[in-house]
Amino acid sequence: MSEIAQDGGGGHKKGGKVRSKKMSTRIDFTPMVDLGFLLITFFMLTTTLAKPQIMALVMPDKDIEKEDIEPVKESKVLTLLLGANDKVYWYEGITDAKLDSTDYSAEGVRQVILNKMDKVREQFKLETYKKKNKEGVEIEHTDGSYINVIIKPTKDARYKNLVDALDEMAISKVRYYVILEVSALEEAFIKNPAGGLKFSVEEQVEAATN
Amino acid sequence: MPKNKPKRSAPSVDMTAMCDVAFLLLTFFMLTAKAKPQETLVIDTPSSISETKLPDAGTVTVLISKDGKIFLDMTGQHTRLDLITNIDTAYALRLSEEQKMKFSNLGSFGVSRSQLKKFIDLPSAERSAFPAAGIPVDTADINKSELADWIHRARLAQYRMKQSGKVKEEYVIIVKADKDTPYPAVQKVINTLTDIKVNKFNLITSMEGKAEKK
Repeated sequence: MSEIAQDGGGGHKKGGKVRSKKMSTRIDFTPMVDLGFLLITFFMLTTTLAKPQIMALVMPDKDIEKEDIEPVKESKVLTLLLGANDKVYWYEGITDAKLDSTDYSAEGVRQVILNKMDKVREQFKLETYKKKNKEGVEIEHTDGSYINVIIKPTKDARYKNLVDALDEMAISKVRYYVILEVSALEEAFIKNPAGGLKFSVEEQVEAATN
Repeated sequence: MPKNKPKRSAPSVDMTAMCDVAFLLLTFFMLTAKAKPQETLVIDTPSSISETKLPDAGTVTVLISKDGKIFLDMTGQHTRLDLITNIDTAYALRLSEEQKMKFSNLGSFGVSRSQLKKFIDLPSAERSAFPAAGIPVDTADINKSELADWIHRARLAQYRMKQSGKVKEEYVIIVKADKDTPYPAVQKVINTLTDIKVNKFNLITSMEGKAEKK
């Protein structure tokens, strides 16, 4: 094809008759190129954008022994109960727990987590310092101030709620979080917050090992 | 004479070369683009800020539909063939070689073992209309759970393929659920996975902002 075009381009030396013949062989490729590039753009965009993201999730091993369970400080624990209609119920610790509810917006559950982090940092007099990582980017470190978040989706929660909650963990950089099954006590607690949470550490351990 | 010539030929640019390049690229993208396998169910994944991309090969995907039905899909034709042969002998499904080949090219499936033969024999256009009940899960007894059995055998099959050099990687378990899937259905799958010692898996999400928030 290209050779034909070159002939047309180079063959203007002769008279009028010959030129008109040569012109007929010359095809305007512009619309074809337009179409070609349009299709390329389409294929490029569809192939790269179709790839979904993945989010890693690590669950605790089921065969954990009672002796292997390491106790954490109650004041560092924040429990999120994912309820129906995109609501999050949360309480701190287990003794005298007060139930409160919020939503998945940036002002909602994120603020709850950040407040808890601040509280823990203050209570344990933890210092934040900046340290450069391998790529030379400064990252804020706080010695052990990481709070322990327990995510417990209730049976009325939908899958999106779980992903949103895990997303918040990633956004607030919560180091230690776990997904556990909601207990009957907590379900009763949601229904009747005034009744208080009658939860014991032994029961928690029992629930984790079974 | 020479002075007149450039004036005439100047406005027309030779498009041939550009056209060649355009179509070469087009052919390349068309060939590398994987045809989207026919989905037996539509899943609208929730959005997240995660930026890790889904790997191309070496994945077992557990799909959970909006109403909690469980489907399964895995990559790698060799592995699938090995897996179905393994399942066939273990449960005496009496599948023909042709049916096994068909299974290795199948997309996702959500039928119990007893219905599998019927499902494979359907023409691909009718498969999405098949009244799939999902893969049965038994959370009380892991040995009776078909989902656990499938995943366990799939991982073993992939391992065998890796040993023989047909595939490069071991299977990564992916969970793909609809954003409106009720949590108990997801929990069933997570429990099954942890029961067979798959404590690390991945959740498929779409990009934040692309899907509507709430």
